[in-house]
Amino acid sequence: MTEFPALAALTIHDVKNRLNLLVQHAERKGDGETLRLAMEAAATLTRLLQAYKAGTGQLRAEVDSHAPADVVEELAAEFRVQTSLRVELELAAAPVLACYDEALVRMVLQDALYNAMRHARAAIRISVGTADGCVEFSVADDGPGYPPEILGTPAMAMPADGEGTGLGLYLARQVAELHANGARRGELVLGNHGGAVFCLRLPL
Amino acid sequence: MALTTNYSNKSLLILDDLPEARSSLRSQVGMLGFERVVVSGTARDALEQFRKHRFDVILADYYLGEGTDGQQFLEFLRTRRIIGRGVLFIMVTAEKRYESVVTAAECLPDDYLLKPFTAEVLKLRLERLLEKKQRLARIDKLQDRGDWAGVIAACDEIIEARDRYMVDAMRIKGNALLAAGRHDDAVVFYQLMLLERPLPWSKLGLARALHLRGDSQDSKDTLSGLIAESPQLMAAYDLLGKVHLAAGDPDAALAVLDSACAISPNSLARHRAVASVAEEKGDFKRVEQALDKVVKRTRNTPLRETHDIARLGNALTELGEPAKAVSIIGEALTNYKGDAQDPMLAAVEAVAQQKAGNPDKARAALDRALQADAATLPVATTMAVAKACLSTGRHEEAQGILRKLVQTHHEATDLHQRVSTVLRDHGAAAIAESLVADSVNEIIQLNNDAVRRARAGELGPAAQMLTEAAQRLPGNTQIVANAAAALYFDVLHNGLDAEKVRQAQVFQKAVQAVAPGHPKLAEIAALVAQIREKFAASGQ
Repeated sequence: MTEFPALAALTIHDVKNRLNLLVQHAERKGDGETLRLAMEAAATLTRLLQAYKAGTGQLRAEVDSHAPADVVEELAAEFRVQTSLRVELELAAAPVLACYDEALVRMVLQDALYNAMRHARAAIRISVGTADGCVEFSVADDGPGYPPEILGTPAMAMPADGEGTGLGLYLARQVAELHANGARRGELVLGNHGGAVFCLRLPL
Repeated sequence: MALTTNYSNKSLLILDDLPEARSSLRSQVGMLGFERVVVSGTARDALEQFRKHRFDVILADYYLGEGTDGQQFLEFLRTRRIIGRGVLFIMVTAEKRYESVVTAAECLPDDYLLKPFTAEVLKLRLERLLEKKQRLARIDKLQDRGDWAGVIAACDEIIEARDRYMVDAMRIKGNALLAAGRHDDAVVFYQLMLLERPLPWSKLGLARALHLRGDSQDSKDTLSGLIAESPQLMAAYDLLGKVHLAAGDPDAALAVLDSACAISPNSLARHRAVASVAEEKGDFKRVEQALDKVVKRTRNTPLRETHDIARLGNALTELGEPAKAVSIIGEALTNYKGDAQDPMLAAVEAVAQQKAGNPDKARAALDRALQADAATLPVATTMAVAKACLSTGRHEEAQGILRKLVQTHHEATDLHQRVSTVLRDHGAAAIAESLVADSVNEIIQLNNDAVRRARAGELGPAAQMLTEAAQRLPGNTQIVANAAAALYFDVLHNGLDAEKVRQAQVFQKAVQAVAPGHPKLAEIAALVAQIREKFAASGQ
């Protein structure tokens, strides 16, 4: 009998393959709702695997140089077919290159976007900029904003709730922490400015 | 979604073992406007397709079944130069697999595409990667040609532009500096990069540069730090293994490779590396264990290598199981027609047959091994052929082969030891030392004589001597370089001679091809410049 973690990893892999077929099928039929359900289910599986890695000390950032505009442009394209909300992109202040683990940043922003999709009224705004020697990836919505208990809870003690928000934020903080340049580390900044603003800051 | 026709002139290969996935991806790329699409379900079939078509883009799934994966397939394509650097290779996978980071940067895919993905994302990714390929196309061509000075200049242009391809250009430049033999410049280059932003690949580059210029301890320290930070970076283990080996510590090399195998048990390259180190140590049990895995895993796949069978056969013979060796070699010869032409396999078979009590079959195998052109054979093959001659009592032929091998590599003391050892092991202890010493002395004497005659003003005879030696020992870079210099020197002082210039150019190119960093090349280039100046000025 295979160990459970290995079996789980194989199963996640298998289910993602099937979800990929489902996504392609929904795409051919122009069925955005099914596409969203399949993409979000896959994101949940990614989160599960990364949470297991984080819990067992195996989560690592493989940092390399990337153009940050690329990953958010792809995410905007990916989400526009999944929602009727407006998905805006703000890249004017984006650095040409920055150093980070692209797969991890993609996962974190994907979670933030699903969360924004649940709470936004009309629009979601993804932006990339720089501040204090960091690249900043932000996801903002025009919904009611984060409830006070989320803004007030200490980072690592966040419980996972039914929508996976807690787990998502826990992983986002882990990913931020894994990005370091010398003494400087990444951080996650949550705030309310006309809706929830999720900001992942990673040292340049 | 927006339809584009940009891709109608691009050919694309889809490789996936699952039929549903193939047809689904095919229809997805069809929606993007690709018209020239070929699908394959196995690596074997994909290789068939490469014989018939050329592709601009390859979308390969990581899992291919049949004991192969997309990474092994890519390594095979790149190391055999079946695809050039201009071909876009995208690995499709459900999770990014860091452990598949392999030895050489050129064996990495251009990108990973994580499943599930939408057609829009695939489109954006392809556009971006094709744009990058286009921007780097000139550099790719220069790299494929081995024009490192050209590569470095082209990279500098991009680095100065500070655009999004800047870091790609830096990466290529570091490799080019090393390939050009500019080890000191490479050390400084990587150190500056690390001051700006420490990244795993620049640390690895620094370690490689330090190793190549002989700073073995600094290289080891850099690699140990890198492995602590990025334990999944297989290339760091591979390099550390090499550094230990070069420093004469095969035990440490083996320990490093073992820990790499534990993290990434599927890498064929790493099991082969373990076998090589164990061979050097004479630990044939380990050789057998490592290669047995490789041979079983690659049986009936396009990833099989004849030399795996040869080295496994040699290990089995050394372990006292020649019958087993004969059997696996026999199986290879039955199933793969091309294997009969392999001199290494034939040499190993000869020894195994002899030990298994079949001297007639041994002789037939050795005759096959001796048919190959000895001048072009790699060292390991030449050693195997010499060993086969010794094992079957053909001592004179063995000595001729070994003498030439020593003279081709007259400064490689580790090889000289191996030559002495093989002679001693086969009852030729009396000449084990003298064969090596005499062969080396002959070369030193020849070089000295040439220098003495040149100093005495006998430039023609000096060049003649070295030319003959270079033609006899085309693998001896020092002799070939000296011959080129002597010929040019003769021409510079005694006047233009078309034949001498032609011969000098042949030697010069040969040295550039195998050792672009050879110190003599600068002197040769200076002589060529002097010749141009002198004869242009005098109107000749």
